[in-house]
Amino acid sequence: MSERTIELEVLRYRPEQDQEPFFQTYKVPCEEEWVVLDALNYVKEEMDRTLSYRWSCHMFVCGSCGMMIDGEPKLACKAFLKDYPTGKIRVEPLSNFPIERDLVVVLDDFVEKLESVKPYIIPKEERTVEQGEYLQTPAQLKAFKQYTLCINCLCCYAVCPQYGLDESFVGPAALALAHRYNMDSRDLGRAARDDVVAAAEGIWHCSFVGACSQVCPKDVDPAGAIQQAKFAHGIDYLTSFLPGGKR
Amino acid sequence: MQVIEADVIIVGAGGAGLRTAIAVAEADPKLSIALLSKVYPMRSHTCAAEGGAAGVIKSNDNLEYHFHDTVSGGDWLTDQDAVDLFVNEIPKELLRMEHWGCPWSRETSGNVAVRPFGGMKIMRTWFAADKTGFHMLHTLFQTSIKYPSVKRFDEYYTVDLLTDDGACYGCTAIEMRTGQMRQFRGKAIVICSGGAGKIFPFTTNGAVKTGDGMAMAYRAGVPLKDMEFVQYHPTGLPGSGILLTEACRGEGGYLLNKDGYRYLQDYGLGPETPTPVLKAMELGPRDQLSQAFWHEQKKGRTIPTKWGDVVHLDLRHLGEKKIDERLPLIRELSAKYVDSDPVTTLVPVRPVVHYMMGGIHTDIHAATPLNGLYAAGECACVSINGANRLGSNSLGELLVFGARAGRGAAEYAKKGLTAPSERLDALAADSEARVKAWFQRTQATDRVPDLKKRLTTAMEDGCGIYRDEATIKAACDIIVDVRERFKNVALEDKSSVYNTDLYQTLEMDAMIEVAQTVAVSALERRESRGAHQRLDHVKRDDEAFLKHSMAHYNPNGEPRIDYLDVVITKSKPAERVYGARAGGQSAA
Amino acid sequence: MNPRKPYVRPISKTSWFMTQSRYKVYMLHEISSLFVAIYSAILIIGLVRLGEGEAAWQGWLDAVTSPIGVIFHLIAFVFALIHTTSWFKAVPQAMRIQRGEEIVPGKLIVGAHYGVLAAVSLFVLILAGVA
Ligand SMILES: Cc1cc2nc3c(=O)[nH]c(=O)nc-3n(C[C@H](O)[C@H](O)[C@H](O)COP(=O)(O)OP(=O)(O)OC[C@H]3O[C@@H](n4cnc5c(N)ncnc54)[C@H](O)[C@@H]3O)c2cc1C
Repeated sequence: MSERTIELEVLRYRPEQDQEPFFQTYKVPCEEEWVVLDALNYVKEEMDRTLSYRWSCHMFVCGSCGMMIDGEPKLACKAFLKDYPTGKIRVEPLSNFPIERDLVVVLDDFVEKLESVKPYIIPKEERTVEQGEYLQTPAQLKAFKQYTLCINCLCCYAVCPQYGLDESFVGPAALALAHRYNMDSRDLGRAARDDVVAAAEGIWHCSFVGACSQVCPKDVDPAGAIQQAKFAHGIDYLTSFLPGGKR
Repeated sequence: MQVIEADVIIVGAGGAGLRTAIAVAEADPKLSIALLSKVYPMRSHTCAAEGGAAGVIKSNDNLEYHFHDTVSGGDWLTDQDAVDLFVNEIPKELLRMEHWGCPWSRETSGNVAVRPFGGMKIMRTWFAADKTGFHMLHTLFQTSIKYPSVKRFDEYYTVDLLTDDGACYGCTAIEMRTGQMRQFRGKAIVICSGGAGKIFPFTTNGAVKTGDGMAMAYRAGVPLKDMEFVQYHPTGLPGSGILLTEACRGEGGYLLNKDGYRYLQDYGLGPETPTPVLKAMELGPRDQLSQAFWHEQKKGRTIPTKWGDVVHLDLRHLGEKKIDERLPLIRELSAKYVDSDPVTTLVPVRPVVHYMMGGIHTDIHAATPLNGLYAAGECACVSINGANRLGSNSLGELLVFGARAGRGAAEYAKKGLTAPSERLDALAADSEARVKAWFQRTQATDRVPDLKKRLTTAMEDGCGIYRDEATIKAACDIIVDVRERFKNVALEDKSSVYNTDLYQTLEMDAMIEVAQTVAVSALERRESRGAHQRLDHVKRDDEAFLKHSMAHYNPNGEPRIDYLDVVITKSKPAERVYGARAGGQSAA
Repeated sequence: MNPRKPYVRPISKTSWFMTQSRYKVYMLHEISSLFVAIYSAILIIGLVRLGEGEAAWQGWLDAVTSPIGVIFHLIAFVFALIHTTSWFKAVPQAMRIQRGEEIVPGKLIVGAHYGVLAAVSLFVLILAGVA
């Protein structure tokens, strides 16, 4: 089997003994087709039981293993070693989040924000099961489908300078999720979500750096979602001056 | 130790746990709910489910068909009362998911679309492209936020149940960020902790699926039922074990051996047809497809690779448009992980451990024999899957029985039964002492990762697609040895904050228990049925074994196995029929 | 006792944009708007001067055609190009057009923008008698 030794430089931080984070290098014998997560698992199993990180599905869908890999936020299960020809890889916890320990970051702030945007259907008309499904054409589905694909890996927050500078910003993933429900033909909850979404810390805090969409491993395009939401609010504002417009 | 009280405690926030929580909240908003999970809910392995969830919705279908497909698919080891209510309730549950916003794929009319799935006579599998479980999980999680009575305890690792005098009153759990143990007291407890595929080395299951909840219930005296039935999915990617959903074949994919021949026609599943026919060829049941691979391998007709032998999945004729619309994740995973774009290339696949048919014994109300303890989802065995689960029945199962568990637990919690708090404190202290012991041990003669490798290899060798007395016995012996050695491991990480060495050790503890029930149940079942195939007992033996295996915890050694009758209402055991004789419709 | 001690990595409020090339690109885009704004202001001043009579207008003309005026306009032109191209590139994200089940490809939308830009420029050039 073809093996290759990778130098894995991992940012360590053990709150009970370290004052601040430091880099620790592991020389890891790797298989050609491994991903960074495999290399971390090798370290954990064979070299250092004290290294902590999150992971689960190993198939780009659970969102656990978002981390900075050579400075870019990525899923460790989607970062293939063959794409790092120098054989030296630097792994750090996601930027812009407090480090709990090693590669594990504190997610409380994000989870609160996700909850704050009312990410559930607020129906146009209540429907009983006996009435069957809401009809939704493939075109109506298409209108919001892209924004349902977010796996909450938080790569977008890690690269958003607005969030890094001011964590009151609701942020890319949560705003994209709000947009997802706003665009769903079954939903009529936009006004209810606007408390958070259209506030100063909401869409208007975004200056469209666009980095979130560049790093999203699922092509959700949160930056696009936010600009579209701004656009919709702009239109609302303008039409409010028309006769019969809502103000 | 801090005590946290709730009316209903739910262990696990995957599909089953979230559905349970919502059901409790809807049954009575006044009931307080503690929802514990060792990972954030959206990380639960329900997210990995790709293909879909079966439920009768179209006018050409009926509940009887779904019933019979499921019962015969399970080789009559299913409890028919459970299957009956399952097929009845699942369409309503799927509609509820639709109302909650699940982005089901649609027909041009706007109605939900269905796709063919293995062993199903009619197209009835609802799907959301090839990320059905992901969308269901996120829909349930996001919907659960609506209910203020659901209080989540994310990243709390549950260690033990607190049981006293035939009833369950709570559990202990470690807050992973502080390493501190908490005592959770509740009036009803529901386990929704998922499967245990990680007891095998090559599996589609994520890191979290280590059978913790099964082991907890088992140690608390609840039998684990039908544990020998382990599903191999025929199409996993070699190396990583990543699943290529059955929907690949539902959409029309072929399985080819090294000669480019659709070998399934040699195993009673033919004749071959260019477009898929339900219940035939590639749309046969998973147990038979995985077994066919084994035979091809014996005949030297598989393709050797460095990750073991493979056959080929051929999707090329579906075309790029259909693959992108219906199987986008599959395309991405194949291209990235095995460098094979299914639009232009054959994709190597091999059978991979996928699902535990067995689990915590429950009745049709999701109640276990222990008062106040319920179980639902993959960790439970209500016996709708029997000896072989049909693909797309388990996402439905977690909804139907999650909801039932929730309603049952809510009702039970209103009784307000509790145990004396000194008693619970003592039990919790025992649990804490058990964990502390890992920290205190300093001399280690064995390491968890090594023992894990030994255990999982033994399971693959002894409890694979085909088994016999000698190989299973060898596995049993290794498990006994691993259990002994496990007493001598020590934690290498002694810290409190997010100590994953500790959690992997606790998971290993659970895996040993669960693996042992699988191996011993397999040893005792001297017949071949569904996913349990014995080379030394090749026939199904209804006389002796039309019964559920019940593995009971035995603190002094291997589990004690006894048997429970299968519930048969309207379908008498018969031959399982697939291929031309099954009369499945064309699914083109 | 709570053993937690989450560590917050410091971020410089004044030089964060130097840490990644995509932030530099973003900053360049933001700075470019400054030049576009100054250019517009100069243009408006020109209009005002025109209204004030021949002499005022000539003064303005002299100023913009002076060496400094020319250098500024060259720089402003480059930034205007940067501003335009970076905006155009981002338009498909902000303006998602769906037709039936298809999303109109971004390339088409960007292309249309360049088309309009070319047409308007040509029109202005003809007006100015250059082309
Ligand atoms: C790759 C793949 C594809 C699949 N595709 C399909 C399909 O197309 N159709 C279908 O019907 N089925 C499919 N299945 C099966 C189905 O997805 C699972 O059976 C089902 O999702 C299990 O759900 P669950 O809620 O029981 O468990 P999980 O989603 O695994 O959740 C378990 C929960 O328990 C928690 N937990 C576990 N242990 C502890 C502990 N000690 N303390 C605290 N919390 C704990 C976890 O944190 C998690 O929240 C697939 C399975 C896999 C692996």
